[in-house]
Amino acid sequence: MDIVEADVVIVGAGGGGLRAAIAVAERDPALTVALVSKVYPMRSHTVAAEGGSAGVVQSHDSLDHHFNDTVTGGDWLCEQDVVDYFVAHCTEEMVQLEHWGCPWSRKEDGHINVRAFGGMKIERTWFAADKTGFHMLHTLFQTSIKYPSIKRFDEYFCCDLIIEDGRCQGVLAIQISTGKFVLIKAKAVIIATGGAGRVFRQSTNGGIVTGDGMALAYRHGVPLRDMEFVQYHPTAMPGTGLLFTEACRGEGGILVNKDGYRYLQDYGLGPPDPWPRKKAMELGPRDRLSQAFWHEDRKGRTVNTPQGSAVLLDLRHLGEKHIRERLPLICELAERFMGIDPVHEPIPVRPAFHYTMGGILVNGKTEAPLRGLYAVGECSSVGIHGANRLGSNSLAELCVFGKVAGDEAARYARTVRFCDASTIEKLAEAAKQRALDLVTRDDGTERISVLRKEMALSMERGCGIYRIGSEMQETCDKIDELKLRFARVKVDDKSSVWNTDWLQAIEVGFQLDVAQAMAYSALNRKESRGAHQRLDGFEQRDDVNFLKHTLAHYSGMDAPRIRYGDVKITRSQPAVRAYGAAGEAAAQQAREAAHG
Amino acid sequence: MKDMQPDARRPYVRPMEGWWRKNPFFVRYMARELTALVVAAYAFVLLIGLLCLAQGEAAYNGWLAVLRHPVSLSLHAVGLVAMAYHTWTWFEIMPKTMPPIVVHGKRVAGHVVTAVGVAAAIGVTLVLFLAVWGIKP
Amino acid sequence: MDKVIQIEVLRYRPEQDEEPFFQAYAVPFTDDMSVLQGLQYIKDELDSTLSYRWSCRMAICGSCGMMINGKPELSCHTFLRDFYPHKLRVEPLNHFPIERDLVVRPDDFIRKLESIKPYIIARDVRRLDQGEYLQTPAERDRYEQYSSCINCMLCYAACPQYGLNSEFMGPGVLALLHRYNMDSRDSGQAERKELVNAEEGVWNCTAVGYCSEVCPKGVDPANAVNVNKINSAKDFFFNLLRLAGGGK
Repeated sequence: MDIVEADVVIVGAGGGGLRAAIAVAERDPALTVALVSKVYPMRSHTVAAEGGSAGVVQSHDSLDHHFNDTVTGGDWLCEQDVVDYFVAHCTEEMVQLEHWGCPWSRKEDGHINVRAFGGMKIERTWFAADKTGFHMLHTLFQTSIKYPSIKRFDEYFCCDLIIEDGRCQGVLAIQISTGKFVLIKAKAVIIATGGAGRVFRQSTNGGIVTGDGMALAYRHGVPLRDMEFVQYHPTAMPGTGLLFTEACRGEGGILVNKDGYRYLQDYGLGPPDPWPRKKAMELGPRDRLSQAFWHEDRKGRTVNTPQGSAVLLDLRHLGEKHIRERLPLICELAERFMGIDPVHEPIPVRPAFHYTMGGILVNGKTEAPLRGLYAVGECSSVGIHGANRLGSNSLAELCVFGKVAGDEAARYARTVRFCDASTIEKLAEAAKQRALDLVTRDDGTERISVLRKEMALSMERGCGIYRIGSEMQETCDKIDELKLRFARVKVDDKSSVWNTDWLQAIEVGFQLDVAQAMAYSALNRKESRGAHQRLDGFEQRDDVNFLKHTLAHYSGMDAPRIRYGDVKITRSQPAVRAYGAAGEAAAQQAREAAHG
Repeated sequence: MKDMQPDARRPYVRPMEGWWRKNPFFVRYMARELTALVVAAYAFVLLIGLLCLAQGEAAYNGWLAVLRHPVSLSLHAVGLVAMAYHTWTWFEIMPKTMPPIVVHGKRVAGHVVTAVGVAAAIGVTLVLFLAVWGIKP
Repeated sequence: MDKVIQIEVLRYRPEQDEEPFFQAYAVPFTDDMSVLQGLQYIKDELDSTLSYRWSCRMAICGSCGMMINGKPELSCHTFLRDFYPHKLRVEPLNHFPIERDLVVRPDDFIRKLESIKPYIIARDVRRLDQGEYLQTPAERDRYEQYSSCINCMLCYAACPQYGLNSEFMGPGVLALLHRYNMDSRDSGQAERKELVNAEEGVWNCTAVGYCSEVCPKGVDPANAVNVNKINSAKDFFFNLLRLAGGGK
């Protein structure tokens, strides 16, 4: 097979991967960077992010406020020292993007405009109309073209990591257009492959979000942390799951049930007026809003659509000019897919899977426990999202930790040498055989689409917005069964050129491993916190036993080994997580106590 | 690196012949381009007329007589239709060739530019026609 | 009972087929299904060997461009209900070599995109601690439309000049070039000039206009290209005058 060398290999060319590549190129232009992606960079799912990216700019805002909003939003499962680093570097990364040409939306005087976002006390979400992820990704991709040291491997599918001598020494990739394998030797490897949303049935995620990098690190002994925490975005299109950005609510949109009632006031997020108001009602955190939908649905107060039950996102009171200027993509989506003009009609929406808070365990420097391996973005768990992510923190995460990953990988690459090719060539050959076995075998019986659909349906049922032990157990059992059946998966397409049947099979393998980690992590967390809410006797948060991170360790065909790790708490002690009027009262009490 | 060793790819390039017949948009485009030839042809006819005028009344009347021939009249009728189509497509594509026009802080839409252009063309044509009609002996 | 629509897909497996051929599939569908979902049904239930690119399903990633009944479209936001009861013909994007089934080889487009210096070449360099460049909403408006390109290449499939001569820089890339030239923070016009002025730059364009017609994002590449003909011509004449003046 072909063998190539690069000082730093980056798997995934979305926002995180591109930012890391640029960081390496700027810090140390003599280092070679191989940017490996199974799609062209501008197809990465960063492109679909809409609402915005956080960074403190207003004079009445502070890093402390951003810190507190994030830690509270994460229900105190955040690594607080990492959150401190994060909030301190968001703004400069957003400015860096601006210098690189990102078309941020502006105020009349030419300064950056910021808008309110869920769970945030003060406006600090930078935005580029309602296509922030698109603009950030294209800015990063086009800027990356400036650096000759970045060599792109577009449409190369990474099928394994090469670990030798306790160190990550490179990756094995398949050139999709030819089916040929290439071993890319590396001194440092950064995984930036995104989340695993396609493990669920209805999600906002694109087809490529299959947890590839998570599964690869996991299989090689790196624990996946906090996998049970998955975010349901409250306002997605029924049926397709396509995203209607939180910015709709940031701009003042409201959610009503079939009686035209702003139901969120019944769930601790009220009172409804004055509106808009930060951290209240429709600007509460995403987990609370999705949970409220679940209750309304059970009470029969949702609207029926051909694609399922829904509530109504009403933007009409914002006026045509404001809607078309601030939310043009939303208008396009509603009109084209649903035949609805948001200027005149409310939009039916329902929660859909959106984000994986958990991921590859890394420290604040994006280092995984495996030497030479780093991870950034949704595939990682660096510790800033905890049990629930705040909107606009993940786009900022890509840049802040993308830079950290690039810098750290560059530094490390200078301290080590390439391994001798013959040693790792055997490992690469073995990995190649494992991948080829899927397509060359002729005794397969299980269809890929069947395995995938059964997995997605089971995950939706057992690991939904609310969870019950017996259902989670069913899901765990189902995933175990699917993993056994996957060993007999059938790939009909035997060709070499653009064999997507084969690649989909590999992806289903990745997804099953990640799903298993999620399901078992969820089953074992016997409390309710953030996005993991139970209805079976564990409805309360349990800081005594479960103020801990879940760590899932790969055990081959067996269920993952679940261990627990400490949470780094520095200055924000777990408190009641309150929003709306309760939140304001709690904040007032805290202020009085501080002055007392 | 991609091309170091032979691989199974055999990209297929589709031929372009007959491309303009396969899509109504392209048929209209080719018709538009063709009308440019008609405009050129008519300019040539007028040039001949000018030359004849320079040679005196007899030559000019000879030219007018040819123009009045039924075949010539039919060709002129076809030519008129072609010119009208040419004018329409000219203004249709005009917004694409101009930087955006901003009036009172709002961009003027392309179809407005086209409408104004077509209206101006019709207006000027009418004025010219009436003027010429007016000086007929 | 679901309605059923006939979808004919142009297949091509280089290792097996001499040349492309149509294969027909009967696809049951509901009114909200896109052509992409139709293809997914084919791959999941009828024929897993069908290869095509896709991802976001919401017309923002630019992966799923294909010829649908002879028109360049994004399959994710073209709906089966609009063709029923007639049959549907799906083919790979025109003017690009077919790699396999509905997958084209986009290398030429990518190379061109990289060649135009698609990044800010700043006149006044700012440090990060100096904060953002100021850019008024009006200044932003001058280029925003051209920055909305999702690189879907529908405009290249639409452009007959590109089809006849692949040396032509093409609508999408020229629109991206224009985006940077129009950005108030950029001052790289001079560096991009040669590419614009070249025969294969704006001058291969004959204002067919189909590119803007098919663009799913309202970028209007025809405008970007043709407006630069004025710039290119101005440039030509100024150079002429400069040379004439220098010769005195």
